[in-house]
Amino acid sequence: MPKILLVEDNEMNRDMLSRRLQRKGFIVVAAHDGEQGHLLAHTENPDIILMDISLPVMDGWEVTRLLKADKATRHIPIIALTAHALMTDRTKAFEVGCDDYDTKPVEFGRLSEKIDNLLVVRKPS
Amino acid sequence: MNLKNLSIKRKLMLITMLTSGLAVVLSSAGFLSYDLISFRHSLSQDLMTQAEIIGYNSAAAMAFKDESAATVTLSALQAKEDIVSAVLYTRDGKVFAQYIHANTRRPRLPAPPPERGYRFEGSYLEVFRDVSLNGELVGTLFLQSDMRQWNSRARRYASIFLSFVLISGFIALLVSSKLQKLISGPILHLEDTMRMVSATKSYEVRATKFYGDEIGRLIDGFNTMLSEIQQRDTAFHHANDELKTRTLQLEGEIVHRKEMQKELLTAKHAAEDANRAKSAFLANMSHELRTPLNAIIGYSEMLEEETHELGKVENIKDLQKIQGAGKHLLSLINDVLDLSKIEAGRMGLHLETFDISQMIDEMVTTLHPAISKNSNTIQVHLAEDLGAMRADITKVRQILFNLLSNASKFTDHGTISVDVDRSTEEDQDWIRFRVADTGIGITAKQKGNLFQEFTQADVSIARKYGGTGLGLAISYRYVRLMNGRISVESEPGQGSVFTVHLPAKVTTEVTEAAQTEKINDLPAATIETKSNMDTILVIDDDSVVRDLMSRFLTRLGFHVVAAASGEEGLRLAKQVNPLVVTLDVIMPDCDGWAVLNKLKADPELSEIPVIMVTVVDNETMGFELGASNYLIKPVDRDRLAVLIEKHRAARSSTLTNAKASPASRHNVSPKKGSGGSKGTITANGKVTVPLT
Repeated sequence: MPKILLVEDNEMNRDMLSRRLQRKGFIVVAAHDGEQGHLLAHTENPDIILMDISLPVMDGWEVTRLLKADKATRHIPIIALTAHALMTDRTKAFEVGCDDYDTKPVEFGRLSEKIDNLLVVRKPS
Repeated sequence: MNLKNLSIKRKLMLITMLTSGLAVVLSSAGFLSYDLISFRHSLSQDLMTQAEIIGYNSAAAMAFKDESAATVTLSALQAKEDIVSAVLYTRDGKVFAQYIHANTRRPRLPAPPPERGYRFEGSYLEVFRDVSLNGELVGTLFLQSDMRQWNSRARRYASIFLSFVLISGFIALLVSSKLQKLISGPILHLEDTMRMVSATKSYEVRATKFYGDEIGRLIDGFNTMLSEIQQRDTAFHHANDELKTRTLQLEGEIVHRKEMQKELLTAKHAAEDANRAKSAFLANMSHELRTPLNAIIGYSEMLEEETHELGKVENIKDLQKIQGAGKHLLSLINDVLDLSKIEAGRMGLHLETFDISQMIDEMVTTLHPAISKNSNTIQVHLAEDLGAMRADITKVRQILFNLLSNASKFTDHGTISVDVDRSTEEDQDWIRFRVADTGIGITAKQKGNLFQEFTQADVSIARKYGGTGLGLAISYRYVRLMNGRISVESEPGQGSVFTVHLPAKVTTEVTEAAQTEKINDLPAATIETKSNMDTILVIDDDSVVRDLMSRFLTRLGFHVVAAASGEEGLRLAKQVNPLVVTLDVIMPDCDGWAVLNKLKADPELSEIPVIMVTVVDNETMGFELGASNYLIKPVDRDRLAVLIEKHRAARSSTLTNAKASPASRHNVSPKKGSGGSKGTITANGKVTVPLT
């Protein structure tokens, strides 16, 4: 079963998303701030990361940059979850190395599709 | 003592005395000299005569060699004092007899006798004469006389001369000192006057003219000069005073303006602060409102899934209601926040180039459930040359989503068609989106309020068909923000057609950050609420003109207010705040130029464009005074209409009480029952909205 790392500071969002992902059959590991997210990415070795952008301690961009720069974690696909749908946010997401992005409030169906897409790509390796 | 710098008085006196002195001296000297010379001559003649007499008397004695007789004759000469010596010489030059005056020193006696006649030798007069008896020369006579007569005469003359000169000199002095006043008097007076004028700086003084001579003319000239100076001085003082007054006035005005400036600046800052607060508020509220709502929606979705799994079907309906309410609330909040953002001028455009067909396809797919819900079918016609466009894709999506969801909501078992094509107008490419349905249609009344928020015509309709009532208002504003046009055609029961024109390349890109800094939005909005876009103020004293203009402009769809005089015009302008003022120049009580001036001077009214309409051709003056346009009567109506349209377009970016659906430039179907403002209404990136 694929493991998802969810980095989200809002408790309710974290709870909702975790449970729904679990029901879909994923193993979910959650972090509540950027630093913890970064740590867990190394220790848990997830198959995909859902990264909220506005995080305390270290924001989502920063974590993504670090993870993509690190050989050990570079391969993990990251979907950025942003509250805004501005073009600037989109471009930035791809600039820092995200593999995809989605807007909040999360539409679960849409998000699932994106997750599946990225995991499929990963599968062969 | 430099003679040249002596005073006039002295010079004149000197001159007079010199000339008169010279005259006296020369004439006296001449006269006296002549006299002395002739006296000398007569003296010599006298002595010659005497010599003759003595000679006669002595001739006999000499002939008879009677020495004593001769000597006696000679001694008779002692009677004449000035005869110094007398000598008789024999024929062979020997002294025969002589006489020497008693007081004489040893006289010099010539030995051989000189020539006959007389001579002046030293200080003596000497005469030599032949003495003859009966024609026979017997000897010569030498007679010597001193010049005492002449000397005393000369001396006498000298003293006379001197006293003469002195006396006449004195008299000349007196006379000249009196007469020189003729000349020096006026000159001195002139000098005094001059000195006084420069000392007191009073230019009304005048020098008195004494005589009509050159000095008199000099004085005239001087006086003329003074009066000129006086005139100029007066004028200068006037100008100076005026200048002072003016300066004070201006200074006062400047102070006043500066105060006003300060106030305005304060107001500006306050407005800026208010706006910043508003932005912050919007930003915060946006997030704060959505977050809990997402939780509500999310959890109820989850619960629904779990309940489904658990098989507790009876709870699902309730959960779905929660979800529905939550989603509805969310869309309401989103719409309200969007509108607030637009109203606050905080809505920016984020442009990107995207493929139109692709976007349409995606949308249609997304909306498929909504469309099939009412058993509608959808037809999509996309032109082949559509290609890509550059616009804010999110907004375009939102607009189309809105139109399509409306179409599906209000149509039952009908057809929804989407046509998109590209066209060129005036060197610009436009994309036309046409969404048509065969639904319930829109009544005229509803059309009037269509693009306004919160007036979903019937409350019952809102209940029945759902929706927030804000969709079209937002779509409308988005279209305008992108410089496009949106219009509707519909009849009740016969479906509706919504047409949106957007530039293929939307240009005004304003980032949110930049917009936050635009603080003139607030006042602009205020102006918009005041200004009634549809009113035109006509100022003309001629009632016929007023009537004609009114009718013509009303037909164009404007509300017309007319004034017969400048005063009335100004009053009405303040009341009504028109879009444009047309102003006649020739008016009885208040001429058009003055009115124009007043209009431009009043800060409330100065922004209103003024079109001068008159028979007088004075364009330059019109423009100098601030008129926007200048038309000559008889007025070219089309020209007037175009001008008014231009002003309106420039003025409005607007979102006002779009009483009317703005008809497209070329779509000329006047809306029934609406104010019918025709023409393009363009946005300029700054969205101003009546603050309701």
